[in-house]
Amino acid sequence: MKQKSKKSTKKSTEERRRTLVELLKNKGTEIYEELDKGNFPSFSVPSRSVSNIVYDKQLRQYILGSNVSLRSSRNMSQLRSFTQLMWLAFFANRLVNEKKSSTLRDIYYSSQAFEVDFEDQPESDNIIVDLEAVLRRPREDLHIFPEERSSVFGDLVIEYTVPGYEGKRSNLSDHPDGYLIGPSLSSAELVETSAELVIAIEKGGLFTRFVEEKVHKKFKAIIVDTAGQAPRSTRNLLRRLHDEMGLPVVILTDGDVYGEHIAMVIKSGSANAAHLRELTVPDAKWLGVWASDIEKYKLPTIPMTESDIKRINDLLKDPRYQEGNWKKQLEIFKKIKRKAELEAFSKYGLTHITDKYLPEKLELAKSL
Amino acid sequence: MSSNDSFIQISPSEFFYKNRDLAGFSNPSRSLYTAVREFVENALDACDQHGILPDVHLTIKAVEPEKPDPKPYILTVKDNGPGIDSKYVPLAFGTVLYGSKFGLKQARGMFGLGATMAILYGQITTNKPVTVKSSTDGKTQDEYELLLDIQKNKPVILKHETKEISKTGLSVSICLEGDYSKAGAKIRDYVYQTSLITPYATVTFDDPKGEKFRYTKIVRTMPPAPTILNPHPYGVDVETIKRMVEDSKFSIPTVDNKTIEKVRTELGLKKKDLNYSEIMSRAKKRWSSLSRYVRVVIAVMSFLKMDFDKLSKIRIDDLDISSEKISYWDFGESKSFTIDMDPESDYYRQLTNTTQGEMLVIFLTKRFQRVGRTTAEKFAEFAGFKPEKRIGTMTNQELVKLSDALQKFPTFLSPDPKCLAPLGAEPLEKGMKAFFNPDFISVVQRGASAYSGFPFVVEMGIAYGGEIPSGGTKVYRFANRIPLLYDEGSDVVLKVVNETDWARYKIKGDPPLVIVSHICSTKIPYKTVGKENVADRPEIERELRLALQFLSRKLASYMSKRGQAEMEKKRANLYLKYIPLVAQFCTELSGKKKEPDYKKILKEAVPVETKI
Repeated sequence: MKQKSKKSTKKSTEERRRTLVELLKNKGTEIYEELDKGNFPSFSVPSRSVSNIVYDKQLRQYILGSNVSLRSSRNMSQLRSFTQLMWLAFFANRLVNEKKSSTLRDIYYSSQAFEVDFEDQPESDNIIVDLEAVLRRPREDLHIFPEERSSVFGDLVIEYTVPGYEGKRSNLSDHPDGYLIGPSLSSAELVETSAELVIAIEKGGLFTRFVEEKVHKKFKAIIVDTAGQAPRSTRNLLRRLHDEMGLPVVILTDGDVYGEHIAMVIKSGSANAAHLRELTVPDAKWLGVWASDIEKYKLPTIPMTESDIKRINDLLKDPRYQEGNWKKQLEIFKKIKRKAELEAFSKYGLTHITDKYLPEKLELAKSL
Repeated sequence: MSSNDSFIQISPSEFFYKNRDLAGFSNPSRSLYTAVREFVENALDACDQHGILPDVHLTIKAVEPEKPDPKPYILTVKDNGPGIDSKYVPLAFGTVLYGSKFGLKQARGMFGLGATMAILYGQITTNKPVTVKSSTDGKTQDEYELLLDIQKNKPVILKHETKEISKTGLSVSICLEGDYSKAGAKIRDYVYQTSLITPYATVTFDDPKGEKFRYTKIVRTMPPAPTILNPHPYGVDVETIKRMVEDSKFSIPTVDNKTIEKVRTELGLKKKDLNYSEIMSRAKKRWSSLSRYVRVVIAVMSFLKMDFDKLSKIRIDDLDISSEKISYWDFGESKSFTIDMDPESDYYRQLTNTTQGEMLVIFLTKRFQRVGRTTAEKFAEFAGFKPEKRIGTMTNQELVKLSDALQKFPTFLSPDPKCLAPLGAEPLEKGMKAFFNPDFISVVQRGASAYSGFPFVVEMGIAYGGEIPSGGTKVYRFANRIPLLYDEGSDVVLKVVNETDWARYKIKGDPPLVIVSHICSTKIPYKTVGKENVADRPEIERELRLALQFLSRKLASYMSKRGQAEMEKKRANLYLKYIPLVAQFCTELSGKKKEPDYKKILKEAVPVETKI
């Protein structure tokens, strides 16, 4: 049974909360003092424009460059968004202090009670990203979660920190549908696990199949349903499972360019979250379905669309796809112009994927 | 034409009766409207001319309200003007062509004809008399009921009463066939616009449906009254010149006591009586100092051979230069005499000169406006006449040549605008303010200008925003203080407004904009008989354009200031809204109790005047 390493340099949930509260207070005090001195306060917001997003080879993820833009309350065109940012910090501070959770949509609606008007939800979403960039903390730390939920299943004991459940533990194999990766799970401490592996899978249907086929037992695995492109909370959980519990992470996706990129985002992050760390699992491995598997396993395929091809060409320019298997698979996709779904294995029987494909790929992964 | 055909002379009344369409009495709807206009305009003109701030009350009542239109209406217009002397009332209201509006100056109507036409129309359609109540002294009022004898062009007095009253003024009431359901909108527009251009008048209107319209005076000063002036050289034709030449010939002196008194004064014989020959020798001695008028009387006396006493007992009937005869009536003997004049006598030559009219230069300087001695001499040279040429000796051909030259001579000064009566920038502005309550207003009165010898002045006002509804530019057109209500399409004012590129003046879309244009002239160049639109004479168009450009630039500068102010206000509102919020949020974030003092930066960001 693996336990969380006591020596872990990673901050525990409580520690993260404490430093965040301090950070928020410092920011608030800064603004307060400027106002009191008769100055127009301002925020330095790291620029999230395309020109300021660079790939860091050492960190193996996209990061923001050094460009910052000043958002000043003196500037008429920035005053509104400055106030919005200020309000969000204020509201997040309440959430964190009162250990309450909110969602992106909830934030948008809550603003109205404070005379801080957002045009629409995309505007408030955007301010949330700004605050993440200012604080260099993911919105989950601020207790703000997306609506879409992905799930996790497996022998993992967690201890809740959310009010009313403090200290209460759960084993994530207790419920066969899996556990939603929501605010309370995201903020829970990871206590112990017997698993030796994390399998992230793109589709809910196969996630259920895996549970039914007891993949968690057969392979001593924790199964995570990413539900398409993995949400940030899911990516954060994967990273914590890797970092805090020392578990290797493997990824199963459809056999197409989007599947390959889902794996890449879990491994090295997205441009959208270039301002954040701790959302990536640089050691994660993409098991498949590779382009080369299509031929190898004689999978039924469908032709690619034009947008699929365009996406391949775009990604071929991405610095992360310049070498190794990532590059190789893209090129094969480009050559065969066909794609296969995970479900394609059903052609050879419903359990073919767990009985045959998975073990072979896991074996192969050891050498990657 | 056979010799059996006879020429029948018809009276003016009959002429107008047969041609009433020309005067605007073609149908019940138009006639009602025209009658209103004629009476209201007469009332306003009468007050204007006597410097009285007008109170004009218009009432239209149906005789039988239940009947469908067209039907008889009683139209009454009452004013506080000078009234009309009792003895002239029957003539003024009971004959056609009896008017008092002659001479070169601006007035609303021309000869007071229209009112008589309205009376005539009323009489024809309803066979009811006109009722006129007039008081010139504010103590007694004469009330007449009159019918017009169309064939004889003479008034028929049905009733004449006198009673006590406390105010001067005139009230005219006629019964006529009209159609208010059709003419109503036009009449209401007319009353509204008339009071807009006459802000010094109170105009009320009680309509047949019981609605009451009240426009009380906005200003209490009247624009200066126009003066009657000589014509401008550019504005006369051959016929006018001929009439003026006749005028220039020295008329036969009426030898009355006044004339004799004048001669005595000039001869220094005020107290002293001399006999005939003594008078003559005295006159000879003083000849060079005598006025032309006295010289003519002396010349006549030389043939009559009479002293002052005898002279005062005769009346000269004819003085025929060509046949060298003078005829006179002797009161003492109650008999007519004719005597011969000696053509060799110096006195005969004096009379000849007189009847040959003035010298050209004198004629020009004396009988035209804006012509001085130098100009007159230059003109004579230009026209190819000797400056001393006697105007009375000119042949018909020479008169045509003179008339042409007057039109072509390039350096006459522009006509004198003193005969015009513009409203004035200030009353116009006040009137527009009261009517439209706009955010912005600007008015301009252009300097006088002239077209074909007729002086004119353009006044214009522009108003924007406030209570003016959006929906595009509304143009109110006036000429000589009369609203031009219809037939806008071809009007020169509309042309100038429509050709303006409003975007240049920061005006977009359907702006809440009102333009009031007033053209004053001794002769408005109307395009049609209907007198609803002004022709596009280049001189008038130019003045209108300059006036509008001037106003538009003012409006543009207002619009840009308004834009800046709105921006400033928006800015201020932003700070006022958001800075307190920022203060509230950072106070809680930093864990402080008291809010920071953000008043300082609000003071900096929000200009004082926009602070609410």
